[in-house]
Amino acid sequence: MTTRMDITARRKPANVVLYVVCILLAILSILPFWIMFANATRSTYQVQQQAISLIPSSYLLDNLKVLSGKTFDPIVGFINSLIISTGATFCAVYFSTLTAYALVAYSWRMRQPFFTVIMAVMMIPTQVTSIGFYQFMYRLHMTNNFLALILPSIAAPATVFFMRQYMLPTLSLDMVASARIDGAGEFRIFNSFVIPVMKPAMATQAIFTFVTSWNSLFMPMILLTRKENYTMPIMVSLLKGDIYKTEYGAVYLALAMSVLPLLVVYFILSKYIIAGVALGSVKE
Amino acid sequence: MQPGVKRIKGVSYAKYGYLFSIPFVLVFLFFSLYPTLYTAVIGFTDLKGVTTTSFNFLKDPFANFTGILNNATFQKSFVNTLVIWIINFIPQLSLAMLLTYWFTGRARNIRGEGVFKVMFYMPNIITAATVAILFASIFGYPVGPVNSILKAFGLASFDFSTSPWASKLIVAFIQFWMWYGYTAIILISGVLGINPELFESAEIDGASRGQAFFRITLPCLRTILLFTLITSLIGGLNMFEIPKLFNWNGGPANETMTTSVFVYAQAFSGTYLYNRAAAASMIMFLIIVALSAIVFYLMRDRYEARANRQARQAKRALRRARKGAAA
Amino acid sequence: MKKFVSLVLALCLLASLSVLTSASAAGGGVINLYSFTDEVPKMIERYIELHPDFGYTVNATIIATTDGLYQPALDQALAAGGAEAPDMYCAESAFVLKYTQGDMSGYAAAYADLGIDVATVVKAADIAQYTIDIGTRPADGALAGLGYQATGGAFIYRRSLAKDTWGTDDPAEIAKKIGPGWDQFFKAAADLKAKGYGIVSGDGDVWHAVENSSEQGWIVDGALYLDPAREAFLDIAKQLKDNGYHNDTRDWTDAWYADMKGIGEQPVFGFFGPAWLINYVMAGNSGGTKAGEGTYGDWAVCEPPIGFFWGGTWVLANKDVAAEKQAAVAELVNWITLADDDQSLQYFWANGTLNGEGGTKDTVASGTVMAKSNGELDFLGGQNMFDVFVPANQFANGKNLTQYDESINNLWRDQVRQYTAGNISRDEAIAAFRQTVSDTMGID
Repeated sequence: MTTRMDITARRKPANVVLYVVCILLAILSILPFWIMFANATRSTYQVQQQAISLIPSSYLLDNLKVLSGKTFDPIVGFINSLIISTGATFCAVYFSTLTAYALVAYSWRMRQPFFTVIMAVMMIPTQVTSIGFYQFMYRLHMTNNFLALILPSIAAPATVFFMRQYMLPTLSLDMVASARIDGAGEFRIFNSFVIPVMKPAMATQAIFTFVTSWNSLFMPMILLTRKENYTMPIMVSLLKGDIYKTEYGAVYLALAMSVLPLLVVYFILSKYIIAGVALGSVKE
Repeated sequence: MQPGVKRIKGVSYAKYGYLFSIPFVLVFLFFSLYPTLYTAVIGFTDLKGVTTTSFNFLKDPFANFTGILNNATFQKSFVNTLVIWIINFIPQLSLAMLLTYWFTGRARNIRGEGVFKVMFYMPNIITAATVAILFASIFGYPVGPVNSILKAFGLASFDFSTSPWASKLIVAFIQFWMWYGYTAIILISGVLGINPELFESAEIDGASRGQAFFRITLPCLRTILLFTLITSLIGGLNMFEIPKLFNWNGGPANETMTTSVFVYAQAFSGTYLYNRAAAASMIMFLIIVALSAIVFYLMRDRYEARANRQARQAKRALRRARKGAAA
Repeated sequence: MKKFVSLVLALCLLASLSVLTSASAAGGGVINLYSFTDEVPKMIERYIELHPDFGYTVNATIIATTDGLYQPALDQALAAGGAEAPDMYCAESAFVLKYTQGDMSGYAAAYADLGIDVATVVKAADIAQYTIDIGTRPADGALAGLGYQATGGAFIYRRSLAKDTWGTDDPAEIAKKIGPGWDQFFKAAADLKAKGYGIVSGDGDVWHAVENSSEQGWIVDGALYLDPAREAFLDIAKQLKDNGYHNDTRDWTDAWYADMKGIGEQPVFGFFGPAWLINYVMAGNSGGTKAGEGTYGDWAVCEPPIGFFWGGTWVLANKDVAAEKQAAVAELVNWITLADDDQSLQYFWANGTLNGEGGTKDTVASGTVMAKSNGELDFLGGQNMFDVFVPANQFANGKNLTQYDESINNLWRDQVRQYTAGNISRDEAIAAFRQTVSDTMGID
């Protein structure tokens, strides 16, 4: 009896700490979004005088007017960004799971060397290989082609690594074996048995890949030079093109517009983060 | 590692291992290997200047590499990178672990659990450029929110960006704040992947929550923890956007210049020293490989390692025995 | 396996589709333009509106200079050549030298080769000499680039603070108080300090004047050279900071803008800047839109203690421009940089009438245009700013620039700030500066 009393007595202050920490972190998470949305309604000069403000102002329509006079076309940007990010996310998540499955489920001679190669690829710094990548794409006439931004994500070493690490303790190879006895083909086993098991991992990786791809600026900016191909981040960065005359109110409005779709996608996929999905197939 | 399914009824499944790896390998060869080799090669050449396309190999092939290693700014940027990574990563992992501990507990019922979990990752959604601008304003000098607070306490306003430690701490804090949610989500998803029966049986055996965490959760989390350590190490040593954007190119006296910012400065700002930038990248690559190997070694599964060693020894013994028989 | 195959097929289809769409954009009668803002593209759009029989459309590629992306993209496009190569391109003062005199100058067409009678037109339009100096290629002495703006700088000061300190706000009188030269400037700073005012907002304000007053640029004979005038920036900045002559702000930060509104730690007397600083930055940040609100209308411009210029966009043409496009490109280049009639770009630009009445007024390169334009601004209490800015263009010096100025300036100003903050000694600042330039740029 005493021990149980002790536990409940000890748990209470811990709970207070938990809520204080979590609420603090939550505030820290919301604040920048709040500032961004508030600044979207403030005039450029209000922003210059005081960049951080929690109080919205009344310049939303003016900022919108400034935006419509610029090379900012949210619909074209949204469609381009969506094609690239969805394509890249699908490629990264699906093929990484497939590659991880090859690494976990089959025993083949090159398995260990292959995994080592994947790990090594992950460690290459990206700043300078981008020079070689760009020149290669230029020679292939793949600039202004979305595939140059989508296809490379098929080889996403970090995602493969995560999928492998997640699959090792999660996937039951006995179940794979029993599916085989039922006469299912290997590719079908992967699609209809392995994928459902990997869903939580795929959803989290999908969020990460989508966010990274949506926000990426450096490569798209170098590769996409035509107005009709610009992604949303490129359009936003063009608004800041000239330090001498930056319309900050409009820039924040553009930023807010480009982050909104991302938030929607995140909230849709976040049910996997919240619920954690019961891993039915693990139970034997 | 679990042994793969080798054969069932004499059918070899190994070919599917190759087959399913083909997309990755093809794309890798096509989109990654060429740029990487290109970079490696120009590290040994005299390629610099923006319009130069032809280059010659240097007489002393390692001149760029020794040049970089003796470069005081590179050395400084390397130390900066390590310092910023460590003061960001230790609290980041600790907080992520704490959150994992709190949010995977089966007994505790946290109000608004889902909302909290969703919030933690949100800092990562904003682009680094925006984050950098916001923080630069927050720590603005001589006027800014933080300096207003200092003044309210009767202190003089403080120029955070000229102070070596303050600027490093701020960059580290931004990194911490942007990535703790990511790490926590990865860890939580790892814990959720653990077979729940393990916890059920531990509960029946009367294990406390703490015991379950240290005896079941942590060991089962080893593979995911390894992932977190390795990716964070790689990401940390390649840290680029925040240091670059927060303090322009590495801040006054280069106090927040990281190696990636250094590489970028060499390759793209001003004189286009591609060859030296390539050499610096390759040096960073080797350092990352070495550090990752150490992490892998420290985090290896001891049982598995022993099993592998025994298997190797057995094979060798078999070979020796065969050789003996042949002779 | 079927699913996999169909997926691959779908991807291939997608690939061919996007290749098709990207190929269809190119065509005849198109002038390719590379720019870092939409300013020049908008000008050309306007030109086409005004001249419906021009017969060409413009395909503008706009890449921001932020993140250092514009130059690599432009360089690659110029080097690659072909039908998609830029026919016209813009360069900002921070890096224009690379394209007119430095590594990339070989790609620029001499204006004369485009069929422009350079000597006659330049004289007739009375183009500011420093923009010609910058646009002239040393290899053959040919003019290869010109700007439409002239960005000669003045000192922009608060009338009310001038009256309070010296009893007058007359620009001719104030010019004598704050200059010529830095000694006179510091005397004025002491006068202002006695009244509780700072003379400038931060050391960045003074930098542009210091930078331009040096005899030599950063690089002399391939080596890093620290001109005595630029080295003296250490002492000027230190003196300003130690005496509290400024609010220690950094340009382009909240505190700097606040000083334009007069709400900083101490009221700030003035700013160094060209006309665009007034229009783009100060007017909007003055806290008002008509006289009496905020600091609006309380400003005036006078001759600075040292001549300088700041910013500007130069327009260049590709030497490999296709023969059939050459006349059209020449026409655009001429309209933007050289024409001086009432329908010329510079006339519209100076009077703020490019897109109808009421636009912002700016100084332009052509003295002829300036002479017949009206630079009166309510912001300056009705003063005609052109009276000060036109002569200011003559003080500007285009001969001490290098193509690496942007990077080297940042490194130098960072070290100076460390020195004024008291973190390092004067010698350490110079040594650290040299070390960093050598380490990151390979210039010793």
